Amino acid sequence: MKPPKHFSHLLLKAGFYLILMIIFIYLLFPFYWAINSSLKSEAQLQMAPATLVPRDPSTGDFAPTLRNYRVIFENQQFVRGLINSSIVATSTTLLALVAGSFAAFALGKLRFRGKKPTLYMILAMTMFPQVTVLAGLYAVITTLKLPTITSMILSYMIFTLPFTTWVLTAFFKGLPLALLESAQVDGATPFQTFYKIMLPLTAPALVTTGLLAFIAAWNEYLFALTFTSINPGARTVPVAIAYFTGAVARQEPFGEIMAAAVVVTVPIVVLVLIFQKRIVAGLTAGAVKG
Amino acid sequence: MSNDKRSGRSELAKREERTAYRLLLPALIILLVIAVYPLGQVFYTSFTNRQFASGQETEFIGFDNYQRLLSVTISQLPPVIDEDTNQPVIDEETGKTVYERPISVLPREPVRYREYKQFSFMGNRYVLGATDVDFIDAITNTLIFTVTSVFLELALGLGVALVVNSNFKGKGVTRTAMLIPWAVITVVSARMWEWMLAPNRTGLFNTMLYTLGLADGRVAFLASGQLQLWAMVAVDVWKTTPFMALLLLAGLQTIPDELYEAAAIDGAGPVKQFFSITFPLLKPAMAVALIFRTLDALRVFDVFQVLLGQSQYSMATYNYFQLIGNRNMGLASAIGVVIFIIIFGFAIAYIKMLGVDMDETA
Repeated sequence: MKPPKHFSHLLLKAGFYLILMIIFIYLLFPFYWAINSSLKSEAQLQMAPATLVPRDPSTGDFAPTLRNYRVIFENQQFVRGLINSSIVATSTTLLALVAGSFAAFALGKLRFRGKKPTLYMILAMTMFPQVTVLAGLYAVITTLKLPTITSMILSYMIFTLPFTTWVLTAFFKGLPLALLESAQVDGATPFQTFYKIMLPLTAPALVTTGLLAFIAAWNEYLFALTFTSINPGARTVPVAIAYFTGAVARQEPFGEIMAAAVVVTVPIVVLVLIFQKRIVAGLTAGAVKG
Repeated sequence: MSNDKRSGRSELAKREERTAYRLLLPALIILLVIAVYPLGQVFYTSFTNRQFASGQETEFIGFDNYQRLLSVTISQLPPVIDEDTNQPVIDEETGKTVYERPISVLPREPVRYREYKQFSFMGNRYVLGATDVDFIDAITNTLIFTVTSVFLELALGLGVALVVNSNFKGKGVTRTAMLIPWAVITVVSARMWEWMLAPNRTGLFNTMLYTLGLADGRVAFLASGQLQLWAMVAVDVWKTTPFMALLLLAGLQTIPDELYEAAAIDGAGPVKQFFSITFPLLKPAMAVALIFRTLDALRVFDVFQVLLGQSQYSMATYNYFQLIGNRNMGLASAIGVVIFIIIFGFAIAYIKMLGVDMDETA
């Protein structure tokens, strides 16, 4: 009664690509809309109905403008912000990954007293709304007299470190214990086991958490706004964008904000392109050969 | 290994424990430096009447802030009695009994209660009063927002992860494209959606609904109380589904292919394979993803602040309003602690429910 095999196979394939297309449209269309808006002039943005591509208000011809991009790259604050953000997000990610993977290895694979309280305590650090801890954090930063960039990196640990620790703990736990024991039998120290065996095996998890932590740090706004208030030179990109002012007083430069949104997303897309192969590096194949 | 406890702790076990503590040290030091003082201060301040950025003297006021935030009461509303007939007054237009105004029955001391909701039960009319109606609203808003958005994110995220996990041409591009919503700066993506949800046809959604003939092109997504919360959910689901999908994808990657091959040989179909292999083995990754997503959703700030301002609060934007708008730092800290407790409750519930207690390794 079944339809011929190749037919059902074809149907399955068509269904798969249909789902894939829906996912693509859902996830990318709003971003396409940002690109579209970034290529429109102020007058084009006010057109109703909104157009799918930038069109000339009178003739209806395709008429994109690069003015918004030119303006944001002439903005020193924005360019400086890109550099600051890169430094802050990269350092935050590396620090959170190193400290987090050490802690996660202990929490996921070693036996010691006080494991559960430690796990909950680390998670509890990130359970307060940012607004609430802001004042206290600011006091700590001023007491320690840290440079603005360093203080941002450190304060971002409050939301990245618990995240990397927890995710990596879950992944370390999932790795087969047999590998670890055989290494111990071979006389490897726990540190060697960690570096030589666990770390390569968790590469996908490291890349995944690293990317997510990087994006979280790259996007952070409230801490950055507060800590850079006395040092505008250290402003990160989100803060720089918030300070965009329109040509006309009190008018919001929406096209420029959208252009900035597109520009700021590009480095992350590049990062993901570089690392996406590692996300799916054959973890299990490695484990079997390991 | 199981004899350790009886025969005293072996040298190996002690060495393992020392290594563990040494590995934990960097993370603990960092958190100690940056988190202990701010968090301790939040707890302490929540019991005071401290003002933000003011020289006014701070006093210790015990649980007053919490009482002001969380006190709720239920009072019965007596019907209005007609003085002439001694009968309850009936509204002529609606045909329903007229009740006293809530303000006359709700307590005023020590703090004034305001009406939150009225309801009927067993033929009587009651009023639910709260001392801080806005905060109670903020809590319900946030809980509704969290439950719906996290559920949708999990469902969509799992779907995306499963699709992207399979072998097909262009999966690299898909995996990259998949992360874009998460990569757009939150404050900016909120503005982006604000533009798309504009209450006229300069906005995408009104243009679309108008073109399809479904609406008049003037739907106020962000101004009508009915739609506001769902607009927030839509924005959040779009933005954070990639986060969920990527964490679940990484979890899927750790499931050995051999298991599926063996199951296929045993004649298990895709659905059976999903429930007997994928789902159980994905649970730890899912638990962590859920915990962090829920935690973020309960603290949601940017989207609410940018899109709704003070027309509807989430817990965190109400917190912000009390701190920056009212400079009431004591109360704001108490709000922070309440949020903390709610989040902690959720985290524990997840860990218990998904059966991924992190301590069971030994």
